[in-house]
Amino acid sequence: MGEGIIEKDKKLKEGWEGISRFFRANSLWMLMYCTGCCAIELPQAMTSRYDMERLGMGPMATPRQADVLLVTGYLSVKTLRRVIYAYEQMSTPKYLVAFGPCPINGGIYYDAYAVINRLDQYLPVDVYIAGCMPKPEAVMNGFQDLIDGIKNKTADGWKRYRDNYEWYRKNQIESLGELRIKDEFHE
Amino acid sequence: MNKHIESVTEAVKAKFDVLNTEIVRDTQAAVDLKPGDVHAALAFLKAQGFRQLSMLTCVDWLEDKEFQLVYLLFDWDKGVRLQMRARLDRDNPKFTTVTNIYPGAQYYERDVHEFFGVEFEGNPMSYKQLFLENWDDIPPMRKDFNSRAYSDKKFPVREYKKDFTKAGDGK
Repeated sequence: MGEGIIEKDKKLKEGWEGISRFFRANSLWMLMYCTGCCAIELPQAMTSRYDMERLGMGPMATPRQADVLLVTGYLSVKTLRRVIYAYEQMSTPKYLVAFGPCPINGGIYYDAYAVINRLDQYLPVDVYIAGCMPKPEAVMNGFQDLIDGIKNKTADGWKRYRDNYEWYRKNQIESLGELRIKDEFHE
Repeated sequence: MNKHIESVTEAVKAKFDVLNTEIVRDTQAAVDLKPGDVHAALAFLKAQGFRQLSMLTCVDWLEDKEFQLVYLLFDWDKGVRLQMRARLDRDNPKFTTVTNIYPGAQYYERDVHEFFGVEFEGNPMSYKQLFLENWDDIPPMRKDFNSRAYSDKKFPVREYKKDFTKAGDGK
């Protein structure tokens, strides 16, 4: 009798999660962190020609209300600090899409003293979009990959970040020295 | 060459100990001065109509062991530019601020201090960090700074199992 209830409860929970995944995948609010040149591909993808709205994606103003963080291009050390702030402010489930080769291996900034090489050392990346810069077709394809990933549970970056938090934090401290922002706006 | 810029250059030559002059382009000339004359020359030129300090930058002459400060002035009425250049000792790069003449030099001095390590006495703001946060090496725009080594030391590099650089030779 008791086991039956647990079994039923589990099934109900799974079913409920499946329903939430369906709705999450079809209603994504993006936070655009336009760090580099790849951001210029977003207007085409958003407006009438490619029309991102038909995938259920739209822009959002604040990190706390957004689901997807778009890192569009290279990340300098200074920007990475703010990106980590923004990512940690977002409520779960949250997804991160990295544009272009710069978050993958540094791209043309592989030897720059102020630009990081790999974003996945500091934050979990769910989808990479290749191309320098990626065409709007590639951007739309990447978003479709993200939607598929949410539906079949492979886009689980926020879980990886939660489980391996110490490892991520160690890498962040090693490259950035200190995470706390000290500039004239935070004095 | 523009007549106005010619006359201004002649006036600077007559007033100060000019080491060298150079014509950059039709509307722009460069004047090399001794470091001690720069402030007087900038005040003189501001009174002559060069109201804007368009840029202050620095050049690292590693073999001469010198830093060269370049002040680029702009005259809005005549549309001409004038460069004032002075060389400093590279081992002890110290100069006096020009913010009392051109207040807009504030951020340029901060920038030059951060990227070249030139100290501007009389401008305490110039010691604050501007672009680089928690910088822990020699100033990065100096010629003897190795950017690649710093990047490799500080930021993890992605390892590839296959060598993609040799692909594309038609095989």
